[in-house]
Amino acid sequence: MTLTQTPPREAAPDAPPPARPAWRGRPAVLWAGTVLAVLVTGWCVTAGTADAGPADVWQAVRLAVFGGVLREDFAQTYSIIINLRLPRVLLAFAAGAALSLAGVVMQGLLRNPLVSPFTLGVSPAAAFGAALAILLTGGSAGSGSWLVIGSALGTALAVSAVVLGLASAKAMSAATLLLLGIALTQLFEAMTAALQFVADENTLQAIVRWTFGSVNDAGWQDVTVVGAFALAALPLLLWYSRDLNAIAFAGDDAAKSLGVNVTAVRVGLIVVSVVLAAVVVSFCGVIGFVGLVGPHIARLAIGADHRYLLPFSFLTGGLLLVIADTVGRTVLAPSVIPVGIVVAFIGAPVFINLILTRRGAAQ
Amino acid sequence: MSLDVASVRFGYRRTPVLEGVDLRVAEGGFCALLGPNGSGKSTLTKIIARVLTPAAGSVSFHGRDLLAAPRREHARVVAYVPQSGPAPFEQTVREAVLLGRTPHIGLRPTRRDRDIVAAAIDRLGLGALGDRPMSQLSGGQAQRVLIARALAQEPRVLLLDEPTSALDLRYQIETLQIVRSVTREEGVTALIAIHDLNHAAHFCDQAVLLDGGRVVADGPPAEAFDAAVLSRVYGLDVRVTRGEQGVEVRPSALEAA
Repeated sequence: MTLTQTPPREAAPDAPPPARPAWRGRPAVLWAGTVLAVLVTGWCVTAGTADAGPADVWQAVRLAVFGGVLREDFAQTYSIIINLRLPRVLLAFAAGAALSLAGVVMQGLLRNPLVSPFTLGVSPAAAFGAALAILLTGGSAGSGSWLVIGSALGTALAVSAVVLGLASAKAMSAATLLLLGIALTQLFEAMTAALQFVADENTLQAIVRWTFGSVNDAGWQDVTVVGAFALAALPLLLWYSRDLNAIAFAGDDAAKSLGVNVTAVRVGLIVVSVVLAAVVVSFCGVIGFVGLVGPHIARLAIGADHRYLLPFSFLTGGLLLVIADTVGRTVLAPSVIPVGIVVAFIGAPVFINLILTRRGAAQ
Repeated sequence: MSLDVASVRFGYRRTPVLEGVDLRVAEGGFCALLGPNGSGKSTLTKIIARVLTPAAGSVSFHGRDLLAAPRREHARVVAYVPQSGPAPFEQTVREAVLLGRTPHIGLRPTRRDRDIVAAAIDRLGLGALGDRPMSQLSGGQAQRVLIARALAQEPRVLLLDEPTSALDLRYQIETLQIVRSVTREEGVTALIAIHDLNHAAHFCDQAVLLDGGRVVADGPPAEAFDAAVLSRVYGLDVRVTRGEQGVEVRPSALEAA
């Protein structure tokens, strides 16, 4: 025996793998993502035409939360940060997070990474509802009014109820559900177009502005509602992540044999994701691709286990929309490109890449 | 002390699939469900697995009604191995086997869950593949992962739906050996839907032949295999030979050559 002898080769493959290697890293990734999300969101508040550094943002937030004396020379900056930038950025984050969560759930339940809540026709239906309300009030109801929001939400929920009702009554497969969604998307887009055709100049503009999807008129009320839905949905969905894993990975039959009440879980979770999507659409208009791309990025970073994928998608979706909106209001400043347009520019190439690089195994 | 299926009926819309099936598998027994395509053997395993709900009839184990129990409790007694198919999302072998703990765990798997998963992976000879993505496995390996998942479920009854159809000869034999050893060593009752009559004859204690949704033969393979019955059921002339190696079925057409 000499000292130069190499260790036996066979030891490597036969050695037991290190204790839970893949499971250890994911909480760390999740925490890192959370810190990153907070930092980037904070930084996005500072971006814009009016000068406001990180220190100003911090001071403004401190004043708003804990109170204190507002110096006169800081009043304008304070107002911009607290009344304009912060609600805008937070609404973008909440909307992105909610859409991304809805996307993860839809993709898992329908076992298809190419679907999003919009695939079921939720978004075009909401857009039609909003356009109808705008038209009937002669354009006097803007995109922020409760009438428009209520009409968009009502239409989206009614359409999803019809789709899901049909699906459960006829025991439809996921593929049929998607085809139904495509048909409804076409129908509602045509109906919205018909409304635009009969609308006068002002109303038309109001409708078009709404269909772009933006967080331009964000107020604290919008942030509260959308944020509350997104934050409430996360723990609720996490509670069902075990069942979601069984359905997504093993399929309906095997999930049933693993003790999951597949039908009830599916209907319940689809309702949650439709409500999330409908709430966002009714407050911010039509913002596509986040529900598709947010989960995809999250899956690349942390894997497909829903216990980690759900919270991480919350972060990626939120960040994606915050960044897209910041880009939209800075590249052509002082004009603002609606976030729905920016996100489509980012989302479309990612989506195409997703289709082209899809594993052959998934067919 | 047995798995009992009594007068189970099932149909899709107006097409009856099972027309009153009765069978009993002794605890720790290894039973083969045989029959031509469309005879209802797959449907029967799915009914026992609670994937499908029968129109009538009962399934019980140790006298306990399996169809009335809550799903989660049923899943702690009965595990089901489907045919392996592609999954839409990436997952490692270990994560896939961990799904078998679904009826046992809350939100987080415990140390014990991970130990059981590791043991199931080792038992199927997948030890070196624990961190391998499922999409990189061969068909035979993927099928063994599904069996490992079922074992991680710690079932008393193991159902397998044609687990060997996609496997090459070596993995067919290995799979059947593993299932047989599980029945022998842990007293698990196994029911396997399978096409190969000779494999069934060699590995199983009991053979149940289904035809048109009814049981036409039931018993130890050597007794249950009857040339006339098999020829009629499969619509093909077969010869059954009984020798020291056990019973063997061959199509007559092959012998003439």
